[in-house]
Amino acid sequence: MIARRLTSIGALLMLTTSAIYAHHSFAAEYDSSKPVKVTGVVTRVEWTNPHIWFYVDVKDEQGKVTNWGFSAGPPGVLQRRGISRDAMKQGDVVVVEGFRARDGSNNASGGRVTFADGRSVFTASNEDRAPR
Amino acid sequence: MSRIRINVAALLTTIALIVVVSQLANAQSSPAANQVPRTADGKPDFSGMWDNPKEPGAKGAATVFNREKMAPFVPGGEALFYEPRTGDPRHDEPRAFCMPSGFPSAFLGPYPIHIIQTPQYLVMATEFMNVTRIIPLDGRPHKTDIEPTFYGEPIGRWEGDTLVIEAKNYKRWSLDDWYYQNPKEYRMHTEALRTVERLRRVDRDTIAYEFTVDDPKIFTKPWSVDWVMKRHPEWEKTGLYEMVCNENNRCEGGNCRK
Repeated sequence: MIARRLTSIGALLMLTTSAIYAHHSFAAEYDSSKPVKVTGVVTRVEWTNPHIWFYVDVKDEQGKVTNWGFSAGPPGVLQRRGISRDAMKQGDVVVVEGFRARDGSNNASGGRVTFADGRSVFTASNEDRAPR
Repeated sequence: MSRIRINVAALLTTIALIVVVSQLANAQSSPAANQVPRTADGKPDFSGMWDNPKEPGAKGAATVFNREKMAPFVPGGEALFYEPRTGDPRHDEPRAFCMPSGFPSAFLGPYPIHIIQTPQYLVMATEFMNVTRIIPLDGRPHKTDIEPTFYGEPIGRWEGDTLVIEAKNYKRWSLDDWYYQNPKEYRMHTEALRTVERLRRVDRDTIAYEFTVDDPKIFTKPWSVDWVMKRHPEWEKTGLYEMVCNENNRCEGGNCRK
């Protein structure tokens, strides 16, 4: 019960942060009832408008690898907060939390990214800072 | 008893003196720091990088109109105002297809606004979708023979130190959908919309921004909100970043490209 409550609080926070980024309403593209949390290796970063995209290879328990796409903030918003395209590189191991695309494909919003060293970028919270 | 009265009077006089002296000291310690900059022709200069308009003290990233500030509906106005969502993203969220946000919606999101002022024009540009309003300041009449547009036809004039921007010729479009996220409906204006912005630079870092909505097909009378815009000189180093909606709109309308 507590876990469920925490999940819904987390979902609410994610919705709020995702909305800060979006060039349109979050609901048009992502399903807030389908949270996604994956750990994997970054394969590509597209530093593009209106949102950056990054792709992560995720291995399941059977060893099967699936490539997920995640959208994050507009590059201008990120750069103004000191987050440059160098913040995430191919080969980085990341934990990504977001919400799945409405079409059910392996794409999601990816507002919260945590690196292996605990750094967290691409979140929209005020306490987020440029990676050191 | 009289001694107490005298003491009270002395105390009040002392407090008054302290207040006056401290105000004088403040005035001397920060003379030009908070003065409103002016152009060569003596007008307040609004030029600079500004945050989007907000309720005073608001922490939120984006702004929507407060329903409580709105005037009552005319008969039939409510149906024109609330547009039911249908589930079709082309109808419910045209911006997901890179359609315009419209005015004022585009200027209410969490993006910097760059204002550039000349004697002839005030230019108001937002990073969001690279929308630019070029506002003539000569008080010319609005055109009568043009098609309505998403961003309307703004014309400015000076009333003392207040810049008044009146805009008409709007296409019927979302009023403030940028953050009005009700899943059942969004809010629209009609082609009868007239907006009036009244800008006063009250100190170096603040624009008092009164926004009036006059849409006689929806509301019985014009209504206004008092917002502020805060200056962000640190954004001047980079200026506005480019934002091109069609570059990589991968999950347009909820359908992601491979």
